[in-house]
Amino acid sequence: MTQLALVIDLNVCVGCHACVTSCKEWNTSGWAGPMTDQRPYDADPTGVFFNRVQTYEAGVFPNTETYHFPKSCLHCEDPPCVPVCPTGASYKREDNGVVLVDYDKCIGCKYCSWACPYGVREFDEQQKVMKKCTLCIDRITDMTLPESERKPACVLACPTRARIYGDIHDPDSEVSVAIREQGGYALQPEWGTKPSNHYLPRRKTRIQIHEDELVRVDNPLKKEELPTLPDVGETLDDVAW
Amino acid sequence: MRLDKAFSWEYPLSVHGLMHNAITNAWRGDPYKIDTLLLFMANMAWNSSMNTENVRKMLTDKDETGEYKIPFLIVADAFQSETVAFADLVLPDTTYLERHDAMSMLDRPISEFDGPVDSVRIPVVPPRGDCKPFQEVLIELGSRLGLPAFVKEDGSRKFRDYPDFVVNYETSPGSGIGFLAGWRGKGGEKFLKGDPNPRQWEMYKENGCVYHYELPKSYQYMRNWNRGYLEWARAHSMTRYAEPITIHLYSEVLQRFRLAAQGKWPGRIPPERLRKRVEDNFDPLPFYSAPLEHKLVDTHTYPLNALTQRPMAMYHSWDSQNAWLRQIHTHNYLFVNPRTAEANGFGDGDWIWVESPINKVRCMARFSEAVEPGTVWTWNAIGKAAGSWGLSPKANESQKGFLLNHVISEELPPCEAGDHMSNSDPVTGQAAWFDVRVKIYPAEAGEPEVTSPQFKPQKRVPGQDPKRGKWQAFVAGAFRKKAKIQE
Repeated sequence: MTQLALVIDLNVCVGCHACVTSCKEWNTSGWAGPMTDQRPYDADPTGVFFNRVQTYEAGVFPNTETYHFPKSCLHCEDPPCVPVCPTGASYKREDNGVVLVDYDKCIGCKYCSWACPYGVREFDEQQKVMKKCTLCIDRITDMTLPESERKPACVLACPTRARIYGDIHDPDSEVSVAIREQGGYALQPEWGTKPSNHYLPRRKTRIQIHEDELVRVDNPLKKEELPTLPDVGETLDDVAW
Repeated sequence: MRLDKAFSWEYPLSVHGLMHNAITNAWRGDPYKIDTLLLFMANMAWNSSMNTENVRKMLTDKDETGEYKIPFLIVADAFQSETVAFADLVLPDTTYLERHDAMSMLDRPISEFDGPVDSVRIPVVPPRGDCKPFQEVLIELGSRLGLPAFVKEDGSRKFRDYPDFVVNYETSPGSGIGFLAGWRGKGGEKFLKGDPNPRQWEMYKENGCVYHYELPKSYQYMRNWNRGYLEWARAHSMTRYAEPITIHLYSEVLQRFRLAAQGKWPGRIPPERLRKRVEDNFDPLPFYSAPLEHKLVDTHTYPLNALTQRPMAMYHSWDSQNAWLRQIHTHNYLFVNPRTAEANGFGDGDWIWVESPINKVRCMARFSEAVEPGTVWTWNAIGKAAGSWGLSPKANESQKGFLLNHVISEELPPCEAGDHMSNSDPVTGQAAWFDVRVKIYPAEAGEPEVTSPQFKPQKRVPGQDPKRGKWQAFVAGAFRKKAKIQE
């Protein structure tokens, strides 16, 4: 069985929020939209985001680190939000494991957001229904798109390629290899939800430089003879305003 | 002399100009008075100025005869910025999607590692209302004023509009070098250098608005001393010389200025008051020196450095009023190391004052272990003036957000070099944004919990109504009819 998921590399994420805005841009106009905003240009604006980046600090100066932690629905293999739903609006797709909400069945009771230990469900205060990350279901299942674009908007937008997407049940997929080889971990495994999304931990990079690499032994200390070239007239270097 | 005194002995190599001094200099009438100030997009009544509160006063200050010291202010902008509120004449600019643009080879665009690239923008929607691309305004001005680049020998107009200008302008008559490097020559058969091509815009459009010249593999690497590349670049007029380009650890150029200051150079010499400054700072070898401001202010009274930095989700003030982006950052804090805060008697989230020798701002403190204890910092351009940028006067940006610029001086305290020296690097004129020294202390109990200074809310102008609703549900394409865009 296929289980689609994201793997997010915390060693690479710089907290630019490109995934946050590209997510909203795609999904507000798509299958899961709209993603409403309350008081958009007034005091205390708030609204629906399927993906948010939280920033944490760890340590005491000068041994401090800043972590940017993108958070969206983890598409659990055993999602606690599904069985608590009284109307069957909250469901997990059997073919690819994506957890979704059918807005037509949702009555806005919020049981699912109480059940979710990760706080990733987003209640639309205007439409009074629960919304959440769909893994861009209307992109990843759209066979009219070229395969390279059949990925969530956040993955395509990430400038540092901190987000990888694929099937975690396929042991040879890029995501499975990353989880296996780079210490990928799931959030709060003690809840038994078996989150599909994984995170790759921060890694220390230490530069090893040896003295002999800094000193050039073959430094010629001489200028090469330059050829005389024909005059080409005005050049870009001559432009001045 | 330029209004900002760039390229004078005060800042001899100021290639970027000293925008932060233009208004102060115009207001003081030094080096001269001006009759018109034309600003494009620069938010000079807010986050693009230092000493912002006083610069705002200068924009409306009058002389003893009752005349404005800066008599006429024209502002071209696509948004209702803080600066637009001061304009005598507003020229509504277009956004990028409504106009032609050239990311020109003359501006040395970023390009690709495998060869030079330039690109254009071609409008995808018509401009709304009376908006006009600023480029068109400049072409119109240049033509009507009869500036040499814009008129023929008989004084008649040379360029119809901006697209025509981009195609037909040459750096000098017949040079074959113009704004765009692609599809030059009569039929578009040449590149980098060639006659103007009347169909150049069409050819860019057919090619995704980008021209990319891919260099042979052997020219792609270490181009600063790749002989094949350098000779190719020279042959195609990309560079003047084919010599290797190296970093000058010993700069002959700087040494010449130093010799002039020492009176050992046969040419021009700096005026007496600046001789020591030029001699000290034009060291041909790299050297460390404390910031000029630190030598001139009392660093015991003002013990901390204060910095600003842009948040990653935004760029300047432009578009940070966007409904989604302002949910990411609606206001800023002053980031302070907990030990520094403890020493100054306040806690996380408390209202505090940040005071420099010229002004003070009230804001909220946020503890951070990621900041050096002798430094405090905040985000730039999140704080806005009440009512600006189409936001409500109660928006968090103006009530909880703040601008550090109020405490940063655009001029140094009086010193040997002069009474009104710019607070800038003495060689390049680079604005000394990070040199400000401050002290921080808690706000008094009972002080209002809003940032200070506050300004009278900006008035809404025609076109800003109808008012926006309490809810917004953006769906792409839903506004096409409202915007009168044809399918």
